[in-house]
Amino acid sequence: MNEPLLRVEGLYKAFGKVVTANGLSFQLNAGEFTAIIGPNGAGKSTLINVLSGSLAADSGRIFFEGQDITGLPIHKRVQRGLCRSFQVVNVFPHLTVFENVEIPTLAVARRAHHFFRPVGRESQVADLVRAALERVGLGARAQTPASALSHGDQRLLEVGIALAARPKLLFLDEPTAGMNPVERVSILENIRRLAVKGETSFVIVEHDMDVVFSLADRVMVLHRGDLICDGHPDHVKGDAQVRECYLGEEVL
Amino acid sequence: MSRTAVYVIYGLLALALLALGLWAGRFVLYLTMRVMLLAILALGYNLLLGRTGLLSFGHGALYAAGAYGLGLFNLHVSSDPLLGLLAGVLFASLISLIIGFFCVRQTEIYFAMLTLAFGMMFFSLIWNLREITGGDDGLIGISRAPLLGLPIGRDYQFYYLVLACFCLSVWVIHRIRGSAFGLVLAGIRENHQRTSFAGIPVKNYRLAAFVISGAFAGLAGSLATLLESNANPFAAHWSHSAEPVLVSLMGGLQTFSGPLVGSVIFIVLREIIQRFTENWMLWFGLILLAIIMGLRGGVMGGLEKRLARGRAAGQGGAS
Amino acid sequence: MLESIVHVCLAGLSTGMFIWLVASGLTLIFGVLGVLNFAHGSFYMLGAYFCFTLLSHLGHNFWLGLILGPLCVCAVGYVVERYFLRYVYHIDLPYQLLLTFAFVLIFDDLVKVFWGAGSIGSPSVAGLAGSVRILGRLFPTYSLFIILVGPLVALGLWAMLERTWAGRIIRAASSDREMAAALGVRVPALFTAVFVFGTWLGAMGGGLAVPYVGLLTPGMGESIIIDAFVVAVIGGLGSLKGAFLGALIIGLLSSFGTRFIPTFDMFLTFILMAIVLLWRPQGFFGEETAR
Repeated sequence: MNEPLLRVEGLYKAFGKVVTANGLSFQLNAGEFTAIIGPNGAGKSTLINVLSGSLAADSGRIFFEGQDITGLPIHKRVQRGLCRSFQVVNVFPHLTVFENVEIPTLAVARRAHHFFRPVGRESQVADLVRAALERVGLGARAQTPASALSHGDQRLLEVGIALAARPKLLFLDEPTAGMNPVERVSILENIRRLAVKGETSFVIVEHDMDVVFSLADRVMVLHRGDLICDGHPDHVKGDAQVRECYLGEEVL
Repeated sequence: MSRTAVYVIYGLLALALLALGLWAGRFVLYLTMRVMLLAILALGYNLLLGRTGLLSFGHGALYAAGAYGLGLFNLHVSSDPLLGLLAGVLFASLISLIIGFFCVRQTEIYFAMLTLAFGMMFFSLIWNLREITGGDDGLIGISRAPLLGLPIGRDYQFYYLVLACFCLSVWVIHRIRGSAFGLVLAGIRENHQRTSFAGIPVKNYRLAAFVISGAFAGLAGSLATLLESNANPFAAHWSHSAEPVLVSLMGGLQTFSGPLVGSVIFIVLREIIQRFTENWMLWFGLILLAIIMGLRGGVMGGLEKRLARGRAAGQGGAS
Repeated sequence: MLESIVHVCLAGLSTGMFIWLVASGLTLIFGVLGVLNFAHGSFYMLGAYFCFTLLSHLGHNFWLGLILGPLCVCAVGYVVERYFLRYVYHIDLPYQLLLTFAFVLIFDDLVKVFWGAGSIGSPSVAGLAGSVRILGRLFPTYSLFIILVGPLVALGLWAMLERTWAGRIIRAASSDREMAAALGVRVPALFTAVFVFGTWLGAMGGGLAVPYVGLLTPGMGESIIIDAFVVAVIGGLGSLKGAFLGALIIGLLSSFGTRFIPTFDMFLTFILMAIVLLWRPQGFFGEETAR
């Protein structure tokens, strides 16, 4: 694998005087499980927003599988294989769980534009959706409206929708936020299993250090828009600068 | 409600309409045709409003585009009704494409205002290009040549063409709603950001929904022109764009049959009220007020809720 | 030629001022309540009709009619907000717009019921009747009066919003409703007050229009609401400064249009509205934040 999955060069983004990305440059390779950590306001969410296409960077370039995607709109990035999930549950509330996952599945299968054929007849897609639901453990809830799910199940659905787009690179923005410990373990198990399968490379933004250090092959530490440390979890744990910026925030 | 039951109901409805054509008097026929035309307009319109979540104040202009498209074709090229309808629908679709292209760049209230602006521009063009469109007099003298050899000059004959177009429209809209495209539209209404992140070019789908709804508006306008033998410019005014919104709301935005029920209610109510008073707009306003304050889901929406409570936790979501 | 242009400008300014009066209320209501009030044209119309009636019954005292008439319309506005509009703030846009549209239908027809469907000739005001000679041509005195009133109202509004306690609360609530409520502002009461005040502005416009238009018709509300919408959009939904400038622009544009390119003046107005909505939807002075 010569070409990195994602290459970022000189990414700069500021909101007025607040610099959330200060000339960031890094690479992500396929097969890596990366975690991005950093205290509040470090710029983690902004980075994901810029990389996924919700926000435009002020300057810098983004390359995905060697192609420049800096100016591409969101849906084009997703079509190429770069996707994300949201910190705040962002589903289709009145549609069923099945339909929630069906939409990205239809898009990936290039069947979304079919305007005459009953969607129930798209049997290939239906199989893919059922499989996707099984993968995140929501198979039994297929016909429930998304808004009727428990919070933990909604978070699973959140990840499920993102995965249904079969991304090569998936950014998970604090997937365990607001979950109780039982739910947390469950979703992390799911993510671990999916990471092992190998289709998707994960980048997880997290506050919870246990999660980070148990799952990640590589940890990137952001602080006020700068990448202050980047490497194997053990290396990051021992880094003085990282300890300093986390003083009072988390116990490493 | 099981699928068979639904098909049976629609089948019976079609038969009833057919029977009406054979035995009803002139006035009832005329009224039924007006209901069907309004229903065609509202069905298409609700694809945009109820399904995709976009409120348009420009559909009066698209209806008028169909009306004038057919009218001008009829007067200057050929009075063949099928070709005329095609001309009307194509013209309306073209105008929808042009207007929609600009309007889908914005959402919510800005979209609504943009459609109002473009609709009024179209109205002003119709109003001012007197030599072509007849200005405030409109187009007159549109005739109904035989359709594939069958005469449709009399209203009771024309009724069957309207019925056929109506049934076709109902079927097509039903298919669209139940298709993958229809599901994506629902997704766009629910959460357009997430739909983008599902890999869907949201703007293009909105435009497609706009053009489809415009085509149906054009069909309704074309048929109306054939029915009345004239086309009038006021149909393009933004205040007439409120009609399909009213009808959809009354019947129920989220249901398929809502626009159908709404059309019947609207026309019937208008007839009844006009019997008693000149000021039917006043009563209409009051009824609309009552519906908005009381019955948010419209008639069908309220019924749906009752039925849903009776159903087991089965099919949910968009219908 | 010069006097032609000057007169067209003056005519445009006076038209613009009426649009400003209606648009000011519309903008205020949108800025604070977030509602686009279709019925605002109806308040203008009701203002005109009420003033006219009071005028005929109060011994033709225009000024008294101008004071009392809008107050009557305010009562109507109060009922609309307090008992109807208040309940639809939280639901989807189509319902809100349709609710105000329902009131348009109701008020338009009520006017026909009470005053007849035809037009009523309106008298001129003693003291402001007649015309003045400007650059050799006659220009109605009353129109000059209107051109003065418009900016006065603008100044008055500005002063109220910037310098008074009430104005500060209004500005706060319009920029962050929840925060204002958290700080103790009784938001529902504030909304009613703002709506009624906006109604008053529109009705004042109607009252002032009585000697200007010459004829009162039930359709006068509909024609002015479109112009007011266009102005509100161009100036920036929610910006009073923008509405004032927008009104001037549209007034001048339509005056020049009517005089020099009579066929397409309506078209021009709407194309300007479309351009602003596409290129800079927040208008010239509105804020970047999406509502």
